[in-house]
Amino acid sequence: MPERHWRTPLDAEKAVRPKAEIHIIKDQCKGCGFCIQYCPKKVLEESDEINARGVHPPRVVDEKECIICSFCTAVCPDFAIFVKEKQCKDGC
Amino acid sequence: MEMAKQEIRIGVYVCHCGLNIAGSVDCEEVAKFAASLPNVVLAKDYRYTCSDQGQELIKKDIRENRLNRVVVASCTPRLHEPTFRKVCEEAGLNKYLFEMANIREQCSWVHLHDREAATEKAKDLVKMAVAKAALLAPAEEIEVPIIRKALVIGGGVAGIQVALDLADTGYKVYLVEKQPSIGGMMARIDKTFPTMDCSICILAPKMSDVGHHPNIELLANSEVIDVKGYIGNFHVKVLKKPRYVKEDCTACGDCSKVCPITAPNEFDAGLALRHAIYTPFAQAVPSTYIIDMNLCLNKDEIMVCDKCIKACERQAIDFTMKPETVELEVGTIIVATGTDVFDPSTLPNYGYGKYLNVITSLEFERLINAGGPSGGRLIRPSDMKIPKRVAFIQCVGSRSNKSGRTYCSNVCCMNTIKDSLLIKEHWPETEIYVFYVDIRAYGKGFEDLYKRAKNERAIFIRGLPAEIIEDPKTRNLWLIGENTLLKEPYKLNFDLVILSVGLEPRKDSEIIQRLLTLSRTQDGFFMEAHPKLRPVDAATGGIFFAGCAEAPKDIKDSVTQASAAAARAGILMAKGKVTVEAITPVLDVEKCKACGLCTKVCPYNAITLNKELKRVEIVEAACGGCGTCAAECPSDALTQSHFTDEQIMAQIDAVTEHDAEKKIVAFCCNWCAYAGADFAGVSRMQYPPNVRIIRTMCSGRVAPKFVERAFARGAAAVLVAGCHPGDCHYINANYQTQKRVERLWRKMEQNGLDKERLQLLWVTAAEGERFASKIREMQKLIEKVTMEEIELAKRVFAKAGGA
Amino acid sequence: MNTVKAITYKEALAECVDAEKLKFCFECGICTASCPMAELLEREYNPRNLLEKLFIDTERALTSDELWLCAWCYRCYRRCPQALKLPEIFLHARRFAVKHGYTQPFKNAVKKFVKASPLPLVAILTCFHPERAGLDLNTVLNETEQLRMEFLSEKKEKMEFIKGKVAVIGSGPAGLTVAHELALKGCEVTVFEALPEPGGMLRKCLPSYRLPREFLDKDIKALETLGVKIKTGIAVGRDFDFNSLWDEGYKAIFIGVGAHKGRELKIQGTKLDGVFHALDFLRMVNSGEKPNVEGKKVVVIGGGNVAVDSARIALRLGANEVSILYRRSIDEMPANPWEVKEAEDEGVKVEFLVSPKRISGKDGKVAAVEFVRIQLGEFDATGRRKPIPIEGSEFVKEADMVIFAIGEAPDLQFLPKEIELTEDGTIWVNPLTMETTLKGVFAGGDAVTGPATIIEAIRAGKIAAASIEYYLRLLG
Ligand SMILES: Cc1cc2nc3c(=O)[nH]c(=O)nc-3n(C[C@H](O)[C@H](O)[C@H](O)COP(=O)(O)OP(=O)(O)OC[C@H]3O[C@@H](n4cnc5c(N)ncnc54)[C@H](O)[C@@H]3O)c2cc1C
Ligand SMILES: Cc1cc2nc3c(=O)[nH]c(=O)nc-3n(C[C@H](O)[C@H](O)[C@H](O)COP(=O)(O)OP(=O)(O)OC[C@H]3O[C@@H](n4cnc5c(N)ncnc54)[C@H](O)[C@@H]3O)c2cc1C
Ligand code: SF4
Ligand code: SF4
Ligand code: SF4
Ligand code: SF4
Ligand code: SF4
Ligand code: SF4
Repeated sequence: MPERHWRTPLDAEKAVRPKAEIHIIKDQCKGCGFCIQYCPKKVLEESDEINARGVHPPRVVDEKECIICSFCTAVCPDFAIFVKEKQCKDGC
Repeated sequence: MEMAKQEIRIGVYVCHCGLNIAGSVDCEEVAKFAASLPNVVLAKDYRYTCSDQGQELIKKDIRENRLNRVVVASCTPRLHEPTFRKVCEEAGLNKYLFEMANIREQCSWVHLHDREAATEKAKDLVKMAVAKAALLAPAEEIEVPIIRKALVIGGGVAGIQVALDLADTGYKVYLVEKQPSIGGMMARIDKTFPTMDCSICILAPKMSDVGHHPNIELLANSEVIDVKGYIGNFHVKVLKKPRYVKEDCTACGDCSKVCPITAPNEFDAGLALRHAIYTPFAQAVPSTYIIDMNLCLNKDEIMVCDKCIKACERQAIDFTMKPETVELEVGTIIVATGTDVFDPSTLPNYGYGKYLNVITSLEFERLINAGGPSGGRLIRPSDMKIPKRVAFIQCVGSRSNKSGRTYCSNVCCMNTIKDSLLIKEHWPETEIYVFYVDIRAYGKGFEDLYKRAKNERAIFIRGLPAEIIEDPKTRNLWLIGENTLLKEPYKLNFDLVILSVGLEPRKDSEIIQRLLTLSRTQDGFFMEAHPKLRPVDAATGGIFFAGCAEAPKDIKDSVTQASAAAARAGILMAKGKVTVEAITPVLDVEKCKACGLCTKVCPYNAITLNKELKRVEIVEAACGGCGTCAAECPSDALTQSHFTDEQIMAQIDAVTEHDAEKKIVAFCCNWCAYAGADFAGVSRMQYPPNVRIIRTMCSGRVAPKFVERAFARGAAAVLVAGCHPGDCHYINANYQTQKRVERLWRKMEQNGLDKERLQLLWVTAAEGERFASKIREMQKLIEKVTMEEIELAKRVFAKAGGA
Repeated sequence: MNTVKAITYKEALAECVDAEKLKFCFECGICTASCPMAELLEREYNPRNLLEKLFIDTERALTSDELWLCAWCYRCYRRCPQALKLPEIFLHARRFAVKHGYTQPFKNAVKKFVKASPLPLVAILTCFHPERAGLDLNTVLNETEQLRMEFLSEKKEKMEFIKGKVAVIGSGPAGLTVAHELALKGCEVTVFEALPEPGGMLRKCLPSYRLPREFLDKDIKALETLGVKIKTGIAVGRDFDFNSLWDEGYKAIFIGVGAHKGRELKIQGTKLDGVFHALDFLRMVNSGEKPNVEGKKVVVIGGGNVAVDSARIALRLGANEVSILYRRSIDEMPANPWEVKEAEDEGVKVEFLVSPKRISGKDGKVAAVEFVRIQLGEFDATGRRKPIPIEGSEFVKEADMVIFAIGEAPDLQFLPKEIELTEDGTIWVNPLTMETTLKGVFAGGDAVTGPATIIEAIRAGKIAAASIEYYLRLLG
């Protein structure tokens, strides 16, 4: 439909987005960059740090964007990344 | 050829058409003149030739005076040729022995104020018709069977109605809808004027009927990508895009709940969210969910996300689905593609797209709808509060030269009246102002509704706001304008402003237009074959219109038109066969040198080269009848029946017999240029009387030798006119026209002739003014052409033209 | 008055409105609601109604004072849904009226204007253009001066005295109008002007062939006789703080600072020698430091009146070749169409649908400008079609001088933040009162509308003055 949709939908705030908790086990990362490459929401990027294996592990750009598809976990050959849904304590 | 030996006896009838013709043409004199022409045995003028008495007169004359050709000088052949052909047949004369001279649309109506010149022109037109008539030959039409299946394009209320009517009659119907669900605009609006029924409540049952009808095959999320063939025998290709959800889907919605991706829902005008896997609205048909692959995380066959797959208990989700091309064979096609709404962000002074509380009438429909994003509470987007002062602005994007939409959109006045009553119903305290120019409450029950709105104290102010200014603190809106009845300025403050946006042609109408070789009016809506007598037929046989695709209209009119279109299509299919005009080419086997040039220009591939027999073969059923092959053949081996070289040459000779140096010989294609010239007449656009139009089916029929002949006989100028490139009724035959004219221009230049004397014009059936102004322009041109130039042209073309 | 033979409807129409411009008016009233003159002279002028009268009662329209009240701002045309060029239709009618000897109505119109507005000489020269209709400009100006004197002496005799000091920031037409109107009511008005001389854009940038400065001086002197104090060389914000005006006892403030900040294009080479901002260029010309243009090739980039004026000035200063290059089409051009036509007649070349890509130089000086051709896309939020560059259509144009006239914006950094601005960076005012979001502070003119016209600034000043008066009365 050619109408222009420029407004923020009225129910945008009500939309429940999963809240992710991304865990990166830095020293286990071998720097292949698969997680960065395949994350559909571009949540990860290469960090400047150097880990125990002498490579740059990934770092989280914006955790809010993560939709917990866990694809990073699936593609990581060395099990260096996993994602959990945040358990809301204080009504987050 | 037997006929030729027989004595030729032509009867000529000059019609007065009341005063329509007789008002500016001396019909008696024209008839007298006609009587003096060769082969004419009788000539009469008559008040209404098309009346029963007129028809009887012709029949009587045919019998009593042994007429074997009939010429009627009256209106356009596009109107009454079938009538008079029938008269001839009834009197035992082959209908191809009839010819018409168009002295109304192309003479009396366009030269209202010059009786003398109009009469002279009418005489010429009759002379041309008589000259052609003498060379006419009888012909038998071939019959083609009609496939008893129909294709309906567009599943709005109009498309739904056509589909149901035809299916109930017993025909198989394919309904192609571009969106995931049928329903169209009507599914999105809340209540409907003038009766205030709930829109979806009355539409949903029809939608589900479509879903279940044994005779209807619904192809949603699909588009027509190719159409070949002709009336009764269309071959259609439909691209069926994958939904990625199988029909096992129970529409439980479990998948949607888990999908992490959201986007504005188009159905709700972007006011609510949907997920990547979704259904546009609860009553959607088909109800099967769909995945929007532009949004889904799984792209390029990499499966990143499987949330919906896991959530679906029925295991209905299938990412392996592929687009499919479905091939259909149908006899009739109904176009019901509806309209778009105007995007008001192009009017900066109204601030739409910038001011949150300026909304369109379509957004309003979603807001007031109980199933909509706000649950039926009319709220203003900036603070979700219920507005106390509401303004409607009418004619936004309609009736405006500037926006290019000069027509009235027909529904917005009544829609506003309906909307104001809806507001009053829920929140009676609301103050409502309607800023309008004219209130168009023309239909049954409309005026009552208007009165009700006034009684409910909706205030109508004549005069549109010039500007809307938003208060940055309150987000309220100032409307500044003039009350044109009181001649007083107003500056009023509102909580919410609703722009009554107009309806406009679909952005992609061009695609359908091209696929089906349709015409569109200047407004951009599809053009009907005749505005009064064939309002749902397209000019192309076997194609019909329903709903807003043809012009903006309300639901009732859309449904009425839909049933009419179903009846028209049904008539064709009930007959089961149709005759095709006998205007296909005939091959003279002796002359054919097997050069194959004709096979290259035929748009329908109806001619093939048979190398063994060293000649070409014609497949008559496939031939569209454009005649471009006959124009191309260098050996004169091809003759288009009813538009033969001899006949056209005779017409040219008749025009140029005297005063050629003052005349323009025009060749006009039947569908666009000739129709455009007719349109100029219907609109009474006046232009100089020196032009003589020769009708061919397609501009591609105009062989260079016709143009050369006209110049060789001293014509001042020649016009070749056809449909715009891309709009050609015969797919692309007019590209040949272009090439041939360009070749002629080169030849003229090489010989020191002013190439301006040969003009090429692309004109649609709706562009009467374009045609008229071309003639005005050419009139100026021919006034400058000198006798020397005429003589030079005569010499240059003497040989080729064979004058 | 000389007697004139009755004018036939057909004859008049044929002269007044050429068919090209005569589209269909459906009487929406947008023109009147947009028209500054209709607001200045509410009961006297209504363009929509005038147009209708031209058809229904041609004779009456041609002999009416109303015919002469259009001030050529083209605001109506920009908004008219039918794109009717009212000012041009009226010009044809005026010419016709003059030809038939109907000149008295013009004098009446001037009288009405003098009563309603200050700066009548400026307005006649820059807005009403009686010479275009065939009247003698000098006679008109002399008569106007006379009328003004009569009016002012009449007024001075029965002046009211409203309490309250008012500060006006900016001495453009908007500010001067406020000062004039309030002075007539006996207010104590002080105008602060950053430049050494008063007049705003009129002095700084308007070409002197269009507005000879002696007439501006006369108009300003007339104001001063009413007791308006004009303090030049004082910029609010630079020389003192905006809020200190309250401390000095001013009860109300009017902001009429215009739009003087030239927009910049972010392309290569704008720092080269020979690249100017139009406003700087015009200021230099008007202040006597004549930039050397003789024999040069001048390229003006932009499509507004400022671009057109710069081009015409450059031509007058002896430039060899002057071209205006604009990125949209003629229909979208914000410049007054009449002005563009005059410029073209003088020899300025105008090229449409081109956009500059970079300026190249030689030895630090401008040598050429590279342009790319443009295609118009969909309509954007300004109601105009979006320009899209056509790849591979680049071409180079030699130039010794490049003048940028791609729009101006107001410089409002000195304002306290309680005064809210719009998205376009102009001051937001209540359209009824011209009051800003800060109590007691009013604004008008280009600072509110963005670059516009003199008559619109005068109209804004007039409304603001009425509101200030009301405000002061409430204060007591
Ligand atoms: C805001 C608003 C309020 C209205 N209120 C009322 C009212 O109260 N009462 C009333 O009587 N009328 C009302 N109308 C008018 C009413 O909506 C129309 O008359 C009606 O919907 C027209 O139906 P249609 O089938 O012709 O077109 P549509 O409803 O527009 O349907 C056309 C369908 O064709 C499909 N389509 C388009 N192009 C293609 C293609 N190329 N291939 C396949 N499918 C395609 C579309 O997706 C759509 O589903 C209103 C209109 C608007 C805009
Ligand atoms: C080249 C050119 C040609 C034009 N030609 C025409 C024309 O022919 N007809 C027409 O109708 N319009 C024309 N205009 C437009 C017209 O000049 C303006 O619309 C009008 O002058 C705006 O008036 P204003 O009072 O809002 O502001 P301005 O006239 O811009 O006056 C604002 C004044 O405020 C002063 N100022 C700014 N900041 C401060 C501060 N902080 N403290 C003190 N003072 C300050 C400025 O120095 C300036 O003098 C033209 C404009 C230009 C640039
Ligand atoms: S879970 Fe998905 S979205 Fe989140 S970081 Fe991993 S790949 Fe990206
Ligand atoms: S796809 Fe499955 S989960 Fe989704 S609505 Fe259909 S049945 Fe339910
Ligand atoms: S696979 Fe696609 S549609 Fe399904 S849940 Fe994930 S993002 Fe949504
Ligand atoms: S229906 Fe009414 S609002 Fe709509 S275009 Fe026509 S007059 Fe305007
Ligand atoms: S804005 Fe245009 S259409 Fe509207 S009243 Fe004025 S001239 Fe007529
Ligand atoms: S040009 Fe300006 S002054 Fe003249 S009628 Fe239009 S808006 Fe009014």
